[in-house]
Amino acid sequence: MTLASMYKTDYVQSLDQQSQTNLNSAWLNDKGVWITNFILICMIKFFFSIIPGITPELSWTLTTLTYNVGSYIMFHAVTGVPFELFSQGAFDYITLWEQIDEGVQFTATRKYLTTVPIVLFLLSTHYTHYAPFAFFVNLVATVINLIAKLPAMHQVRLFDINQKIDSRG
Amino acid sequence: MDNPVLSAINTTFATVASAVQTVPGSAIAIDYIKNSYQNDPFRVVLELGLAIYAVKYMLSKKYRIDQNHVQLTEKEIDELVAEWQPEPLVQPLSDIQRMELDKTQVIVGAQGPKPKVLSSGKTLLNLASANYLGYITNEDIKQKAIETLHNYGVGSCGPPGFYGTLDVHIELEKDIARFLGVESTIIYAQGFSTIASVVSAFSKRGDIIVADDGCSFAVLKGTQISRSTIKWFKHNDMADLERVLESIRVETQAHKKRPLTRRFIVTEGLFQNYGDIAPLDKIMELKHKYKYRVILDESNSFGLLGKTGRGLTEVFNIPAKEIDMIVGSMANTLSAAGGFCAGPKEVVDHQRLSGQAFVFSASIPAMLTVCASEAIKILSTPQGESLLKTLHENASVFRNVILTAVPQWIELSSDAGSPILHLRFPSSLVASQQMSRDDEKLLLQEIVDEAAIKDGLLITRAKYVESQELHLPRPSIRISICASHNKKEVEKAAQAIKAAFGKALSRRK
Repeated sequence: MTLASMYKTDYVQSLDQQSQTNLNSAWLNDKGVWITNFILICMIKFFFSIIPGITPELSWTLTTLTYNVGSYIMFHAVTGVPFELFSQGAFDYITLWEQIDEGVQFTATRKYLTTVPIVLFLLSTHYTHYAPFAFFVNLVATVINLIAKLPAMHQVRLFDINQKIDSRG
Repeated sequence: MDNPVLSAINTTFATVASAVQTVPGSAIAIDYIKNSYQNDPFRVVLELGLAIYAVKYMLSKKYRIDQNHVQLTEKEIDELVAEWQPEPLVQPLSDIQRMELDKTQVIVGAQGPKPKVLSSGKTLLNLASANYLGYITNEDIKQKAIETLHNYGVGSCGPPGFYGTLDVHIELEKDIARFLGVESTIIYAQGFSTIASVVSAFSKRGDIIVADDGCSFAVLKGTQISRSTIKWFKHNDMADLERVLESIRVETQAHKKRPLTRRFIVTEGLFQNYGDIAPLDKIMELKHKYKYRVILDESNSFGLLGKTGRGLTEVFNIPAKEIDMIVGSMANTLSAAGGFCAGPKEVVDHQRLSGQAFVFSASIPAMLTVCASEAIKILSTPQGESLLKTLHENASVFRNVILTAVPQWIELSSDAGSPILHLRFPSSLVASQQMSRDDEKLLLQEIVDEAAIKDGLLITRAKYVESQELHLPRPSIRISICASHNKKEVEKAAQAIKAAFGKALSRRK
């Protein structure tokens, strides 16, 4: 490998990404993450259910919406690593979803995190008795979340969201 | 029911239906479908689609989205393993490496302006060391060093952030800051890693570094480990620097959501690989015009250039305060060890936690710190001024002799007044004689050997880590002038080297 090609930023960037465990995404493979995720959803549902006078339709819709918006922000909107140790910005402009398992697709963590919004959607539409408005809101939130998780969307940026601006002259 | 076929179908259907009902959980599924249908087949299809997608996702196989990732079959792996030949731990030396190893001079006894070498046992005139002002043999400095050794012992036993900081370190920092007229200074333990550490402490991924392509290896490594975007401009070509800065300006202006990046111009004061100086006035002008920060590597020029040795800023009469970061070395002119970075207080304090070579390396021994302090003290006295004057006179004597040589023989890339002189074969000659790089090196080595044997001169070729250099300079002989030599010796040496160049070339023809 020539020195000039080693200077190419992409090569150096992938070296820096793999040089050590990415603590920002590695915890998603830890024990108990799935059950925590499940408990969190139950807590969201519980929180919305205890609001006085709330209908089950509304509480289910708000639960789906909260989960989808929350996980979208967490996995697809925020980029980079919050604690820079030695990666020197190697994960700048890369979302948490893209950081999971070094970008390998269809890993167990990804499968779990993709299935959860689908199951939640089916449950909530069932319990909202297919009220058209609630159905529509749930569907849009779920589908947007699912599209962002598609392998085909890996490091693809639509509508200028998370766009990496090339400052190279 | 007379139709036997129809009745058979009906019975089958009833059996299947009852069979489905016996499956545990089937009641819930049936109930769900009944419920969800609600006269809307479209929605059922949608939900089914989502469910199928979930199942399909669950059953998909792992793969890596990486165009460059090569998937090898078992057979290919076996073949590659069978083909593999272990490399020897130590590669056999090539001819040129062998020659380099054999021809290296070994000094017996103390280093100095006239050391004794092992090969011939003779005393040679040293034109190869960075002992420009003769500080190595300075008795005052030696005395101070011995005193400090009795007081502090040898090592400092730790990085500056833990237990490695001594009072003498702080004093040296103050001495350098006062000498240059800047706010603050930080000292590093190794001269080579100082610039690399400073560059990477400030410039990160996404930041832009515009650097001179004639910069030394230390600067090159610094820009490389900083992970920044690096743009090179032609060596000391200010028009090319402006072109690069302009192209960056145009390109970044095109983006609406341009991120705020740090930008640096990195250059050397006195170029180690060429012996010429950077046009600092023009660089400062461009820095202000395009809003860049300047990192100036004065490793060679600190203590050498200017009337009192304050470096490039003194030559151009620019206050050192105006340069964002001045990086220098105490290992060259000051004949001590380590390096420093001088600049505003904020710049210096940032490095105390972010300068990798500062944080992760033991501080310099007290002895060498005191030597450096003492060397700077001498520079501020009339004695230092006269040393510098002698040095510059010696350099111009040498230079003038070389300039009288046949211009087709020797090419000199150094500026007037520079005590680092690079002597090369002119590129036109190299082209016409079709000399390869190795030919040039061998021929220069002949000159070096001849000068050592016949004329009693210790000179050396400039050596590089060729596989790691991005802009490899052409082979040369690097002469370092010393103030401790007298004019006659220097002139004689220059004449001898000039003659050796002529002889070597005529032998080749």
